[in-house]
Amino acid sequence: MAKNFGKWLISGPPVLYLVVFFVIPTCIMVLASFRYAGEYGGLAPIFLHDASGAHLNLTLESYREFFSDFIYSWLFIKTLIYALVTTFFCLLTAYPLALLIARSASKYRDLLVLLVILPFWSNFLIRIYAWMILLGPQSAFSAALNGFLGIFGVGPVRLLFTPFAVVLCLIYVQLPFMVLPLYANLEKHDPALLDAAQDLGANGWQRFWRVTFPLSLPGIYAGIALVFIPVLGIFAVPDILGGTRGIMIGNLIKQEFLEARDWPFGSALSIMLTIGAMIIVGGAALVARRRGRGDV
Amino acid sequence: MNRLFFLLCLVAMPGFAADELHLYNWNNYIAPETVDRFEAYCKCKVIQDYYSDNEELLAKLAAGAKGYDILVPTGNALASLVRQGALLPLDKRLIPNLKNINPAYLNTPFDPGNRYSVPYAYTTTLIGYNVEKMKRLGLPTDTWAVIFDPKYLARVKGRVTVLDSQRELMAAALKYLGYSANDTVEAHWYRAEQVILRAKPYWAAFNSSSYIKELTVGNIWLVHGYSNDMFQAQSDAKAARRKFTIGFSIPKEGAVLALDNMVIHKYAPRPDLAHKFINFMLDGKNSSELTNMIGSGNPNLAALKYINPEIASNPAIFPGKKELGKLEMLQDLNMEQRRVLNRLWIKIKIE
Repeated sequence: MAKNFGKWLISGPPVLYLVVFFVIPTCIMVLASFRYAGEYGGLAPIFLHDASGAHLNLTLESYREFFSDFIYSWLFIKTLIYALVTTFFCLLTAYPLALLIARSASKYRDLLVLLVILPFWSNFLIRIYAWMILLGPQSAFSAALNGFLGIFGVGPVRLLFTPFAVVLCLIYVQLPFMVLPLYANLEKHDPALLDAAQDLGANGWQRFWRVTFPLSLPGIYAGIALVFIPVLGIFAVPDILGGTRGIMIGNLIKQEFLEARDWPFGSALSIMLTIGAMIIVGGAALVARRRGRGDV
Repeated sequence: MNRLFFLLCLVAMPGFAADELHLYNWNNYIAPETVDRFEAYCKCKVIQDYYSDNEELLAKLAAGAKGYDILVPTGNALASLVRQGALLPLDKRLIPNLKNINPAYLNTPFDPGNRYSVPYAYTTTLIGYNVEKMKRLGLPTDTWAVIFDPKYLARVKGRVTVLDSQRELMAAALKYLGYSANDTVEAHWYRAEQVILRAKPYWAAFNSSSYIKELTVGNIWLVHGYSNDMFQAQSDAKAARRKFTIGFSIPKEGAVLALDNMVIHKYAPRPDLAHKFINFMLDGKNSSELTNMIGSGNPNLAALKYINPEIASNPAIFPGKKELGKLEMLQDLNMEQRRVLNRLWIKIKIE
């Protein structure tokens, strides 16, 4: 006990912080999802008082609503697809970039990492609005793309207000979150391992696929978690760029809390989202661990 | 005991707060010069906070926000606040300028007898358009059909946006079908849903925020939106010397009128300053400044002579008797109706 005291002292404050700002609010939300909506927004009281005393005023209605119509599940699936596509392309583009930074001369590395972080210096919403200008039909980018497509006889395509715009912007927004953990991992690889592989006759591709890639798996998992989970809940990007077909589950949750004044249903949706994300991430981690063990 | 007293003082501090008026208002809904003049007049400071949506205001208050003196809710949100008992009754002796308000805008169903509220300004929800494009495409600009009928929409496919608001879009579709904007018959709602779903493939987006810009730069040619915003798009297009002009008009089927009202929150730290502010804003000149800045409708009769004639003569901003008869204010829905409408809306958005 005394030996562990130092550990507790150090991990105490962050644990307390998480309990106060994550666990307790989550419990409040779970409770809210079983309550009735207040007539003017907010929530109805938990206890109803009448002649025979206080009664619990809770309901499963929000969850019943969720399962009564496939439309909600469909929106979950759609959001999931957006998140998966975003994560996939983030990984595809971030991996070579992270590798390049990790393998470049050490005097440039900090500068390159700085360049990856640079977009964070401007506001998130302003960066999304910038995409509105880039993708708008009047923009040079759209004009050039449509000019190019015109050569092949393909009619002008609209970029703004499409699901494509949403995913494109999501990839842009999330890319640094994939690059940084990958870089942190790749940078630590011992170059001697690659030399050894080369001495044993491995070609360039084998060296990457048999040495670098397996070693970078923890970085990949971290990157996927950092990209995939936030995308599930995002609403600003589809709000601004999504048009009539681009909405995601985050927009619906926001709508429940504001326009619909149905906090319980909004909470239920949030909880379903959290559970869904936990199942996917937990399942993926389980598969990854089993595979990792199998390889050894 | 002393300590407790001290703590209580700390908690009660806002009660004797410095001479500050906390105004929780729509974005860009008061002229800066008016604020400056009020600060000089009452020797106080105006601290502003903004919302972009009545629901945002209601949600914030429902979550227990305190410390605001003045709120500026629209009719249906006002009704909601009145029923919740969230407002302080006005002391009309402190508001002699109330006489300036056009009686047509007083005594609304949202606050009968204006016990809690005083009209501030209004907007209409209408159609705005790129005048040249509409002419070239031969599209009418005096009917909701241009937003909802595929016959017309086919010519402007992907160049139309509608408001991202269940109530407003539903109201427009109901008006198009010849029903009241406040119709709550479910069968009528389903008909309106069909109208919306049929038109949706032709729309570029549900958009309540950036359509002003899109209209001004010429990306979008036809929008369903608020008169203030159309006025801004029109002025912006003019200022940017675009080759086209922006027009807006109230469809002949009728439209929604949104009357925003000044009210005092129950927990207002400074009701005295709040009354002063309301009376100040009801002065003709002070009231006219907002209209001249953003083209909002003005219920203040004394303000008319200070208003830019170009604005005062626009029937979409100052509707005549005939148009006024066709405008409706949206009433609040009950929980059950909201659920039904919300489900309709989710289907509209996802399908």
